Amino acid sequence: MNYIIIGGGIAGITAAKAVRRRDAQAEITMISAEKTCPYYRPLIPLLIEKGDADVTYAEDPISEYKINLLQDRVVRVALQERDVVLASGKRPGFDKLLIATGSRPVIPGIEGISGPGIYTLRTVDDALRINAAVQGVKKAAVIGGGFVGIKAALALIRRGIEVIIIEQLGQILSRRLDARGAEIVSEALARRGIKIMTGSPVSRITHDSGRITVRLESGSTTEAGLVVVAAGVRPDIEAFRDSGIKTGRGILVGETLETNVPGIYAAGDVVEFRDLLTGRPCVSGLWSNAEEMGRIAGSNMAGDRIKFEGFLPVMNAADIAGIPLVSAGIIEPVEEGHETVTDDRPGRYRRLVFRGDRLEGALFIGDVRNAGIYVNLIKNRIPLGGLKEKAASGDLQYVHFIKTPQPGRLAV
Amino acid sequence: MKQIFVRPDRCMACKGCETACAVQHSADKTLFSAVLQSPPPMKRLFVEAAEGIRMPVICRHCEDAPCLRACISGCLYRDDHGFVRRRKERCIGCWTCIMLCPFGVITRDREKHIAVKCDRCHRLDVPACVNACPTRALVMAEPEEVAADRRQKAVRAESGG
Repeated sequence: MNYIIIGGGIAGITAAKAVRRRDAQAEITMISAEKTCPYYRPLIPLLIEKGDADVTYAEDPISEYKINLLQDRVVRVALQERDVVLASGKRPGFDKLLIATGSRPVIPGIEGISGPGIYTLRTVDDALRINAAVQGVKKAAVIGGGFVGIKAALALIRRGIEVIIIEQLGQILSRRLDARGAEIVSEALARRGIKIMTGSPVSRITHDSGRITVRLESGSTTEAGLVVVAAGVRPDIEAFRDSGIKTGRGILVGETLETNVPGIYAAGDVVEFRDLLTGRPCVSGLWSNAEEMGRIAGSNMAGDRIKFEGFLPVMNAADIAGIPLVSAGIIEPVEEGHETVTDDRPGRYRRLVFRGDRLEGALFIGDVRNAGIYVNLIKNRIPLGGLKEKAASGDLQYVHFIKTPQPGRLAV
Repeated sequence: MKQIFVRPDRCMACKGCETACAVQHSADKTLFSAVLQSPPPMKRLFVEAAEGIRMPVICRHCEDAPCLRACISGCLYRDDHGFVRRRKERCIGCWTCIMLCPFGVITRDREKHIAVKCDRCHRLDVPACVNACPTRALVMAEPEEVAADRRQKAVRAESGG
């Protein structure tokens, strides 16, 4: 059996492992456009600080799982011929194909947003380019107050330059944090010396011999020697648009992660599938979801029939400027019918969002002890039964699931 | 292979297992030096109590371990014995493992800024927690033995004998 996996990110690597575990004879070819492959993408901000930081796997999956790695770019998929057309002209054929191209940075349609001194942060090469560009720069502007923007900002400030984060919404980490959470994290970032400007989109960027001026719609301006655009990501589906494989915002898949074309699967950031809580189609952009999808898609390609229920588009853990946080599910409900419990004390902020008998959102800041118990309740949609009050108190422990009437998947 | 089994009906919540665990993971591995160590050594298991039940909650070293799968830095790995362990130098303190552990048995080392979890006392035949348990609420046993024992008890209870 010939398996082709397009993309060497975590979805592709996990899928390749799953295929190999089930099929010792499989020919597994991985096509990656990146020179460095594979690596831990979440670690690339470290490269901004230190160009030789180790972001590679501790055990190389390419040799361990006997994967043929091709550094090439996919131009299109030919469904009739069952092969993949590569930029080099090669056309490897497949029996089973996995699309795991991940996502690309969103570049907002702002005048002057491309050009020298303006970078995105998605790949090892991106991070190394920023690392090299810091030299001689006094001030950097980061457009976008999401996790990527914040991690870029923290890395840049450790290089000893001034950093400002520009976020068009009213707060940083929207959807991930509520207003109070954003306040706590913003204060921590401010203590590290990072300036944050919220509430105004960028209207225009002008370039003047290496000096970049970022103009906001509010009228204020910021000058910077380096700009990082971190305005989110979108599925990388360019090569598949008119192939006959159904796409929306991402590649559309069914519960086995197979596309409309038999034998062609998709996993990771490139996928558009349902939000576990709302049931609505969405894209993930999260590493742990990509890992799960890769494992399921790879297993199914090799003959299993594992169902993928969907993912939480918010399921993040992080440590920002010394503050640990976990955020999962719905933090700021927009629909009716949610109850919210908050617990705000020095060094510990918690927000829990309930809908009827279920927990749908959890935000832990400062103290993330037992966060996994709450996240599992959300992810597995476990009815709380008599445990709702205990859950709302924030003191739920594993022991509470022993000998309860509806223990769900957490019980022994 | 023998596994750690928890028998909640025997647990008195004395926390001897917690102490033994912390001592085993201290610099000198003795109680006297462990209590003086600063910062104090950390335990890897937790005695928890709810209405009508007390028990130590320990790492299962899950076959399909969510912490291991989601580790974004290559820190967590499965060793030759099947234990989920850390390559400490690789931990960046992102707390993804804490977010995904359904047992709540991974914690933060605030000094070193890394995740802390049970290493199953991989150098010892009998883990420190099991060794310390005075009521044998924690035991090492073959899963097959435990299953056979449970079946027998169930049959006896049903047949009144």
